[in-house]
Amino acid sequence: MKKLLAGAAIAVLMAASPVVAQTPPNVLVIGQIAEPQTLDPQVSTAANDFRILTNVFEGLVRFAEGTLEVEPALATEWTISDDGLVYTFTLREGVTFHDGTPFNAEAVKFTFDRMLDESHPFYETGPFPLSFNFADVTETTVVDEYTVEFTLGTPFAPFLTNLATNTGVIVSPSAVEEFGDEFGRNPVGTGPFRFEEWASNTRVVVSRNNEYWGDPAGVETVVFRPITDANTRVAEMLSGGIDIMVEVPPDNVAMFADDPTFTVYDAVGPHVWYVMLNAKEGPFADPLVRQAANYAVNKETLVNDVLQGTADVSAGPIPPAFAWAYNDAVEPYPYDPEMAQQLLEESGVEDLAVTFYVTEGGSGMLDPIPMGTAIQADLEAVGFDVTIETYEWNTFLAEVNPGLEGKADMAEMAWMTTDPDTLPFLTLRTAAWPEEGGFNSSYYSNVDVDEMLDQARMETDPEVRAALYRDVQQVVHDDAPWIFVANWKQNAISTANVEGFELQPDFNLTLRNVTKQ
Amino acid sequence: MGGYILKRLAYAVPVIIGLSIIVFGIMAAIPGSTALAILGSFATPENVERVNRELGLDLPIWQQYFVWVGNILQGDFGHSYILRRPVLDEILERFSATLILAGASLILCSIFGILAGVVSAVRQFGWTDRIVTFFVLIGISTPAFWLGLLFILIFAVQLRVLPASGMYAVYGGGDLPDLLRHLILPAVTLAIVATGVIARLTRAAMLEVLRQDYVRTARAKGLDERKVIYRHAFKAALVSIIPVIGIQAGFVMGGAVYIETVFQWPGIGAMLVNAISTRDIILVQGGVLLVATTYVLINLLTDVAQALLDPRLKT
Amino acid sequence: MTQALATTSTSVSTARLSSWSLLLNNRLATAGLIILTVIGAIALLAPWLPIPNPNTTLPANRLQPILSDGHLLGTDHLGRDILSRLIWGSRVSIAVGVSATLIAALVGSLIGLVSGYARGTTDNVLMRGIDMIMAFPYILLALAIVAVLGPGLLNALYAIAIVNIPFFARNVRGITVGLASREFVDAARLSGKTHAAILFTEVLPNVLPVIVITMSTTVGWMILETAGLSFLGLGAQPPQADLGSMLGEGRRLLFTAPHVSIIPGLMIFALVMSINLLGDGVRDVLDPRLRAGDLTRPLSVTRVKRKTAPAPVEASDAILDVRGLETSFQRGRATVPAVKGVSFALRKGECMGLIGESGSGKSVTALSLLGLVASPPGVITDGTVAIEGEDVFSRSETGIRALRGAKVAYVFQDPLTTLHPLYRVGEQIAEAITAHQRIGKGEARARAIALMEQVGIRDAKDRVDAYPHEMSGGQRQRIGIAMALANDPDIIIADEPTTALDVTVQAKILDLLQNLRKERGMALLLITHDFGVVAQVCDRVAVMKDGEIVEAGETAELLRAPQHPYTQKLIACVPELGQGKAFLETVRPLFAEGKP
Repeated sequence: MKKLLAGAAIAVLMAASPVVAQTPPNVLVIGQIAEPQTLDPQVSTAANDFRILTNVFEGLVRFAEGTLEVEPALATEWTISDDGLVYTFTLREGVTFHDGTPFNAEAVKFTFDRMLDESHPFYETGPFPLSFNFADVTETTVVDEYTVEFTLGTPFAPFLTNLATNTGVIVSPSAVEEFGDEFGRNPVGTGPFRFEEWASNTRVVVSRNNEYWGDPAGVETVVFRPITDANTRVAEMLSGGIDIMVEVPPDNVAMFADDPTFTVYDAVGPHVWYVMLNAKEGPFADPLVRQAANYAVNKETLVNDVLQGTADVSAGPIPPAFAWAYNDAVEPYPYDPEMAQQLLEESGVEDLAVTFYVTEGGSGMLDPIPMGTAIQADLEAVGFDVTIETYEWNTFLAEVNPGLEGKADMAEMAWMTTDPDTLPFLTLRTAAWPEEGGFNSSYYSNVDVDEMLDQARMETDPEVRAALYRDVQQVVHDDAPWIFVANWKQNAISTANVEGFELQPDFNLTLRNVTKQ
Repeated sequence: MGGYILKRLAYAVPVIIGLSIIVFGIMAAIPGSTALAILGSFATPENVERVNRELGLDLPIWQQYFVWVGNILQGDFGHSYILRRPVLDEILERFSATLILAGASLILCSIFGILAGVVSAVRQFGWTDRIVTFFVLIGISTPAFWLGLLFILIFAVQLRVLPASGMYAVYGGGDLPDLLRHLILPAVTLAIVATGVIARLTRAAMLEVLRQDYVRTARAKGLDERKVIYRHAFKAALVSIIPVIGIQAGFVMGGAVYIETVFQWPGIGAMLVNAISTRDIILVQGGVLLVATTYVLINLLTDVAQALLDPRLKT
Repeated sequence: MTQALATTSTSVSTARLSSWSLLLNNRLATAGLIILTVIGAIALLAPWLPIPNPNTTLPANRLQPILSDGHLLGTDHLGRDILSRLIWGSRVSIAVGVSATLIAALVGSLIGLVSGYARGTTDNVLMRGIDMIMAFPYILLALAIVAVLGPGLLNALYAIAIVNIPFFARNVRGITVGLASREFVDAARLSGKTHAAILFTEVLPNVLPVIVITMSTTVGWMILETAGLSFLGLGAQPPQADLGSMLGEGRRLLFTAPHVSIIPGLMIFALVMSINLLGDGVRDVLDPRLRAGDLTRPLSVTRVKRKTAPAPVEASDAILDVRGLETSFQRGRATVPAVKGVSFALRKGECMGLIGESGSGKSVTALSLLGLVASPPGVITDGTVAIEGEDVFSRSETGIRALRGAKVAYVFQDPLTTLHPLYRVGEQIAEAITAHQRIGKGEARARAIALMEQVGIRDAKDRVDAYPHEMSGGQRQRIGIAMALANDPDIIIADEPTTALDVTVQAKILDLLQNLRKERGMALLLITHDFGVVAQVCDRVAVMKDGEIVEAGETAELLRAPQHPYTQKLIACVPELGQGKAFLETVRPLFAEGKP
């Protein structure tokens, strides 16, 4: 027994003695929030996967760095027909996929047909959950080797921005043919990094693509490590196990900011965090009560104290990250409990008992429980009686998406989108009520808003489109279908020897310019 | 003995079949769906329906079950909907990680638990006994996941002597010392509660055995006290300690859920939590069956070990 | 927990006072009780305590450190007062822990009772169900329950209750199986009671202590489990505080504001620890063996604490000379003598009988001679035992050990319990030899076989590898004797060596002892309650009653003319063949005096 113990002690000492090594230069280790689900760009739906994908794949267009405006990528230029139905792209020549397959119009057609055409031989490699972004495409035509044409059934203004998202990137046809279902674990694109290895639950490794058509990447290798627990991620950052971490818990940001060995990054993004209010029944059926709720909640405290300044107060359904379509004139509801009480009196609504669905976590939900609890306290201070029910994310969606009717009066929700159209179109139109197949789970309805949104979707003139969205913001703000709470500023931490890293407004993690000493 | 083992295995069959039905039923009863997990905010009824159709999830739940059973009988555990890889690959990989972690902490808790229990029984009411009792109480009164975080804070962040998480270094490493280095913190954390339980029961078992007539016989023979305690009393106590270790083995596997999450250990506990939240029925099934089978085998192993130790139990 | 205690003390109401005093005697348990009472009282009084509302948020004032103004323990991530939440949270956690335990105990015990009593298919089905629960990942169960019943601590509580059912079921079943085959249950069955009535009136009362013991150890677990559940997000609904969710929420701030999680962590620790300490105390009180002090570790030599300085050993021809031996047992704080001033001597080669009814102190006397009385509770309180002219109790432990099995060997009563069940008999004999002689393993084995042959075991070469349970009672006792002979002792102390055997075997064993004694010239101290045995083998005899020797003398003389009425009774109790009913007639008047 004693020998055994001594042996164990020696083993422990031996194992513990070497100080944990820093990651080598030229190798960048990224702390991810979870194991990727798939690296097939058309199959993937998670921001966590996109952070890897965006470095391996490219689309015809991309968002210019630091903006949400499109610029050329694999296409060098494009034209749009006057009726907004035909998009013609001229492709970059001399580009090859990582497996040597040449990039051309056929590859583009293959990519979109695979996702949209149910009779395509590789449609089976799906499902392609986000293909509805391109649902209006009726045909993709190869005009010549380097020209491709998309024909739309109806005008669809967000089409170009959707092409810049990760769902619109081009995959290597020969790799899809070779790997079939397994393409998601063997991705091949044209991006600045090529895929090397995916060790399940441990790491995904990509390396510099030396044949890249643009400037080659600054580091040789990038390792993506899944670390699901936020505390553990922070601990790994502190102990030198990773070089960059994303989605830093708000309370830890200040700690890193005070430490000169780390660099803190933040960037606004197209994110909205709100509480939907059931406009069909209960106290929130009265717009005055909904406005009262907006006055009652102290949003400044929520973003500055609960979220530690990692978010800004939100004014309406369109986040300021869409600078071109954002209405600066719309001011957030101020924190004014007296005003709230006055409005409640005015409304004459007596029964202020409400049920509040809160989730425990979920994409873009920030700190849902503390935020929900703080909102509950604020509402109770002006006379509401709020009962919180918490659900795990999947259950939460299953409860909220079919509509709140008969179950709840309010529910937390958050969206990250890349076009100002997406969120209002899916959640504010009358035609988006749950029974119609949309996400307007709280039954807001305003004919003017419906009309403006439909019009903006068809409009190809960006100026006219922008004006419509600005009007939508004002109307929706006044109708108060939600409590507008926060626009998240995404954040990240890197060690001080990482340079050239910037966060992008589309929540992607662009690593081609990053270097590390 | 062989017949007995076969009989025990036969008993396990209905348990496992029953479990598989219950798991399917529960997974069907829980709100939410795989499609929701895939689509997230974009889960319109239309999209949900399309994804379900493409995954074969549009069948009634009992049909899905029989399809699954049919596949299992052909040795096919199916494909995970979310991970898009064969369930068998995933669970075996995950399970071996859990086995390493649980095995290491089972060894730790058996050695230290038994040692502490014996020492504190032999030195009953002495200072050693009190100190052991105190640490045992700390062990069984502290939530393990919280202790794990504390360990990370101390050993990985402050002292920087051990890695904070993971099973192997992401770059370089991959050898046995690397594994051991990563194993220490989670294995110790996981072992703490079980060590306490085993120590308490060992102490009680030793005290009970030390009162037995045959221990008095050993003394009457003039054996020295160490032989009396470690040869005569301990062997007899071991007969009742072994089932406790068996139960703890089950617990350690269960507790692994928390520890695997905290230490980012790529084990089956953390996988099951994920698979449940994404409603990945087939993966949950595979994982539960593997865990249940292990549980059955641990039970069997415990009984066999007990029978080997105690000739009276041989049938 | 206090409720559980209350039921405990009523169920054993006759022993109520002593139970309490026993519990309070246990210092650790008392500490646990005090801590628990204080926490419980504070938690109960929460509504009347001058503490802030636990749910008032003030995010601007968040994460205040300990001892900050107006917040003794600081504030949490929403600026709520931690002290206040701690007190209200304890209230919830204790309630959850206790009620989940009660549910698990109720359901689990019922399953265990039915399963252990009915056996057969019912047992099989129920136990396979229990297996399923144990093999089931319980977060899945928790999720399912929350999904069906809706979120909330109360519903999560059912999940932890279910997970703990198997412990109760298994423990209770184990004991019920044993009880169901006992005589009193058979009797109840024959008297026409229904199964349910038997279960609840006959079996349940006997199982109750085990249920209570399991409960006391489970409550602490349950509180920890709520912490685990809230780690998974299944627990109290905001803004309600429970210790588990406080810990779960606070753990995210471990790097920036550790006190937010450390405080509830310490509280859980204090609570669970006090419950465990108290639980151990309750277990000790309820377990009859612990009560008798039977679960304390016996020392290798009986404690010696003589009231008077031992008289110097006088020279005599006796190889064993006992003078004024007094052995006592500690009962609580009192010391009760079981052997009172016993003196006798044994000469070389002589056989002496020590006779008396059970409880007369004869076995304690025999065990006292080499300090083999279990201690605690046994203490040698007076007298000397001289072996070869030296006082045994003045020797060191090693010195006494050198005598045991070498100069003086014991043969015990029931060879089934006195032989080690897990070692082969050959090993056990060989071990007796090697304890005192330096010989190799092979030689020891050969000697063991030889000894077995000497005590009349046929096929000794085959039987040497048998386990005790594979032998008959008579053979086992022969092994016991072989073990005693291993080192050619001068004295054999045989403590009721034939009592556990049937009559024909008895005679053979006695013959064997007698022959060996004569062959080897050993002295034999024979402890028995049977004058027939004494008459057969003993040269002299001493009669013991209530710890004292009431009469002693040559066997033949004493048998012919017993002086003490007790001796007369014992002699009369030896039936003679063919005496029949007349035996009872002669015995009856001797015992009539005791009756009213």
